[in-house]
Amino acid sequence: MSTPVLQADAQLQSILDRLVSMSERDHYDPYTMFDWPETLPEDQYWMTPELLSIHGTKVAESFTEEQKWAISKWESVNFYSLNVDGIRELITEIIARIHTKDFALSSEYFHHMIGEENSHMWFFARFCLLYGGKVYPDKGVQLEMKSEGESAHFLVFARLLLFEEVVDFFNKRMGDDDRLHPTIRKINAIHHQDESRHVAFGRQIVSHLHRQLREKLSTEELAELELYLKRYLRKSVDGLVNPAAFKDAGIPNPYQVRNEVLADPAFHELERKMLKRSMSFLVNEGIFTDDVLPRS
Amino acid sequence: MSTVTGFDAVIQYLLTKRPDLTSIDPDLDLVENRILDSLGFVNFLYVLEEQTGEEILMENVTPSDFRTINSIRKRFFHESE
Repeated sequence: MSTPVLQADAQLQSILDRLVSMSERDHYDPYTMFDWPETLPEDQYWMTPELLSIHGTKVAESFTEEQKWAISKWESVNFYSLNVDGIRELITEIIARIHTKDFALSSEYFHHMIGEENSHMWFFARFCLLYGGKVYPDKGVQLEMKSEGESAHFLVFARLLLFEEVVDFFNKRMGDDDRLHPTIRKINAIHHQDESRHVAFGRQIVSHLHRQLREKLSTEELAELELYLKRYLRKSVDGLVNPAAFKDAGIPNPYQVRNEVLADPAFHELERKMLKRSMSFLVNEGIFTDDVLPRS
Repeated sequence: MSTVTGFDAVIQYLLTKRPDLTSIDPDLDLVENRILDSLGFVNFLYVLEEQTGEEILMENVTPSDFRTINSIRKRFFHESE
């Protein structure tokens, strides 16, 4: 009989028990806890200005303050739309594993994650629909056959962790930024509170699964996993720069602006900051051999 | 900055994904030959949108539309093979 992917581990079990207790303690009703004003003021920033993709870039020098406010509105709708897409994937993958033999150990906590992520998806989507009139569509397509087996489990949990860590970089800062509207601050602060538990779990399971893979895979196979995750990070970072958001903000030549932002050193500095924590983790765990990402 | 536009710019972009190639057979499977994959897809889609001047709605396309140069040309540049 084969052993479960997530094998019994006293340390992991203790962390899972603690996370379940924390989830129970912090449980809330998302449907009643937010104030949703009919409109949000458009003569101010909807995102922390320093976190806008255009911040400090050459192309932004020609934009007026009003144009930057508009970009902040539509980039925030893009950011929450990316959250909706990422959560959809997360819930789908967790549902596919809950109460299977491989993930019996973490199934109790999976119930909490699914519940919390469903709440997050609801309030992010509500924000987009109420203030932007839409959720930006996911433009991804699955072109290859999906891989299976232990490497696939590792990649799923690593993707979910990295998605959560990138998002949390923004949530933490925007939840604390008193230049932003209280509704914006609150959805970011609440998300940050829940994600800190999900990130703690994600780091445990990703380390655990990679340790097991290191005993089975060749150096070349491990390098392939590293390249895949680096390209996933590249895709995630580039996804924050959406030409549709520039277009909705009334910016001419939205594709050209996107290309210029992606090539600008200021954007790479923002990228470095948003990935710093994840990169340290991945390199320290031996999952990455360096912190260099491929180009767009 | 490249001055190539339209369909040629799309080819040029795809070639940057396989620097060992100097041309791409119009019927070559782009996915099997690791020129295009899911992780690189969105950036490629934006190149296509920029060069066709039209936003591509995902409900109107299928993965097979992106499988070869010929299928891309036929579907997005309204040209026959």
